[in-house]
Amino acid sequence: MAEKRWLTALSEGDPNALGGIYELYGERIFRYTFRMLGNRTDAEDATAETFLRVVRRSAELRADGAFRTWLFRIARNLCIDKLRQHKLMELPPDAQYSGAEERTTLRVTVHQALNDLPLEYREPLIYCDLEEMSAKEAADILKISVPALKSRLYRGRRALRDKLGSAMERTP
Amino acid sequence: MKNDLLKKLVDLYAGHELPSELEQEMEVAAVTDFAMKADMVSLRETVDTLQSDPGPEFTEESYQRILMKLYARGAAIQPKAPAPAHLQYHLPIQG
Repeated sequence: MAEKRWLTALSEGDPNALGGIYELYGERIFRYTFRMLGNRTDAEDATAETFLRVVRRSAELRADGAFRTWLFRIARNLCIDKLRQHKLMELPPDAQYSGAEERTTLRVTVHQALNDLPLEYREPLIYCDLEEMSAKEAADILKISVPALKSRLYRGRRALRDKLGSAMERTP
Repeated sequence: MKNDLLKKLVDLYAGHELPSELEQEMEVAAVTDFAMKADMVSLRETVDTLQSDPGPEFTEESYQRILMKLYARGAAIQPKAPAPAHLQYHLPIQG
């Protein structure tokens, strides 16, 4: 139980604890923030800020299994703040992923279609289909019921399917 | 089960949430119901495409830049491994 060990260490002021938590969750939080924000620079900022907030609020930490939900909620709030700033400044998201495989036409189309969805639909797709979280965990992060989460998830999948339309048919 | 009832299960079918017997029942019913078949196939393809997405790569550069941001903001953090030489800052050579 590495998580429990590092959370206990953090609450006791162990200087190595943040590094341990970053090793455990850094990649997942980065991937999540990248998917929410659509560009690497903002994702790196949001990931760093997420872990800084963990340190600032370490007195509230309890190693009771809810840490991951709490961590994703912090990251989500930061992403929503950044998305609002982008909207105010009219900055379009840069949805370019690196990596040869990810540059295929279909992937770019999927990412663009996902970014075009309302946040209400995009978030359940990110949590359940891309990050492979359970419906219960995703509902806890969003502070909604599991049936409400599933309703948004199913509508989101249909909306994405309709946006993708012919792009999926052209792909073998 | 009637097709009207099966149509209500298309979202569950697309997300691989149904038991295999019910999946098979839907697939048999879809043979003669083209609209339901199109809905089932296209929705499942959408879900499968999403679930097979490897996501953005967490590169060594991103890992190190986040660490630097944490350092810069005063966090006490010890990386498990030192930054590779090409990511370390160097002073310009005085000529």
